[in-house]
Amino acid sequence: MNYTDLAATLLHVGERLTKHAGKIEGETMGRAARLLSNQLLRFEELLEGYIASRKSGELLLETVLQSPAAKRHLTMGILKQGLRELAGKRLKADELRAAKREFVERIHDAGNQAEAVEYLKEALSSAIHLESGGADKESLQHEFVSLGQLADDEFAKEIEKKSIGELRRLAGTNGIRFTEKTTKQRLSALIRRYAQRAVFNISAAA
Amino acid sequence: MSSKVLAFINFKGGVGKTAMAVNIGATLAKLHEKRVLIVDLDPQSNSSVWLMRPDRWQEHVAGGRKSTFQIYDDALNGRNRFNFDEALVRGVVTWTGFTDLPRLHLLPATVELLRIEDKIHEIRSSAVYQLLDAALGSYFKQYDYVLLDCPPNLYSTTKGAIFSADSCVIPYVPDYLSLSGFQVLAEEIVEMREMFAPHLRGRRKPNIGAVIISHYRQSGNVYRLAINELELSIARLQRSGVLSSQTAILEPYIRHCVRVAESTNEHLPVILYAPGSIGAQDYCDLTQRFLNHFESKK
Repeated sequence: MNYTDLAATLLHVGERLTKHAGKIEGETMGRAARLLSNQLLRFEELLEGYIASRKSGELLLETVLQSPAAKRHLTMGILKQGLRELAGKRLKADELRAAKREFVERIHDAGNQAEAVEYLKEALSSAIHLESGGADKESLQHEFVSLGQLADDEFAKEIEKKSIGELRRLAGTNGIRFTEKTTKQRLSALIRRYAQRAVFNISAAA
Repeated sequence: MSSKVLAFINFKGGVGKTAMAVNIGATLAKLHEKRVLIVDLDPQSNSSVWLMRPDRWQEHVAGGRKSTFQIYDDALNGRNRFNFDEALVRGVVTWTGFTDLPRLHLLPATVELLRIEDKIHEIRSSAVYQLLDAALGSYFKQYDYVLLDCPPNLYSTTKGAIFSADSCVIPYVPDYLSLSGFQVLAEEIVEMREMFAPHLRGRRKPNIGAVIISHYRQSGNVYRLAINELELSIARLQRSGVLSSQTAILEPYIRHCVRVAESTNEHLPVILYAPGSIGAQDYCDLTQRFLNHFESKK
């Protein structure tokens, strides 16, 4: 069932009840009517609250605050900064759950739920951890492919010129895992192997 | 805002086309209040039965009329039986028995599509690629995002989806088999540009807008190396003009998550079924990047 079907059922029952209201009697009908009436009042209250919070943007704000992205990335710092920027207030709560509640209340008072949603989305988006990156990624990938195309002696000469730090950056950027204990010799061998593989794979598949 | 039509394609199976269409679609509707239509074009009907209980799906698509099958059946038999509003499934029914995600709509598929795929392929004229667009193009305007969930092949239905789409999204499992397939796919799309060119009438040429990594595992070298090779390959294809400079690998990568698999049995997107799972978190983060990527494009 969907909410349109429920509305149609309520309308139908309402019409029947209006038509026959003056003739209904008996305890069974009375008890059922009281039960339905209580539930309808509760439902109406919920529905009105839902509509109001949807209209004000508060529902979306709460949805964003409870979203999986918030669970992973939301911090006290994000809420503190947001409250200061959006409502000019200082966050008093010192624990995340209470801070979320306070954030919603203060934003509600300031009436800028839509701006708060945008602020949170932006902040959560910035907090997403990305696997790849680094300003020099493109040049390190280019270098990796070039190394893969060299003959053994040329490769050895190129590697010789590099420090262990440079080799680590080259390896890390190109998906090679290593530890602090990985020696220069071992790292060179890994770079050699995977750079050759990359050249072979990307050209063979093209 | 105008609608964005995106075809989720890969002729390799099991790469996550349906999982991405369903979960990105649901996250766009739930957290970003976007109006989303998922069009199931796969005879396996996986996005249909992911978002609908099997009994409800069978009842809905009985005879094929309220499904994407009818679009092609009409074209093959010169009929006009397809009715978009009747075929549309609005929202997702949760365990309460009531619908949730009212902004997420589904145009379901049926296995009958399998029966007519050969016949569709026999239509020699260019009209075959335009069938989907002719039947649905005017309805797409009602949505912010239209996600076309394609079968794992590059036959007529998929080509029709590519013709209708503003851009293609390639779900990708990081291994060599996917890499070789990806490069073939990129070349095929270039060929389609030539084939579709006379019929595009000012629309965007077929292109790969984004690649999304699925089944990712962080342990060891294997996946990071495979993704590095994909990045190198994309850069090479961009240099040769096969891919545009806007083609990007969207992050974060979607990790393997048992709760996503489980959510198919519950007929719910993971954001409703297990919002605390890593699957839901990955899809939330990815959808934000997805929005940033496709809404920054001209």
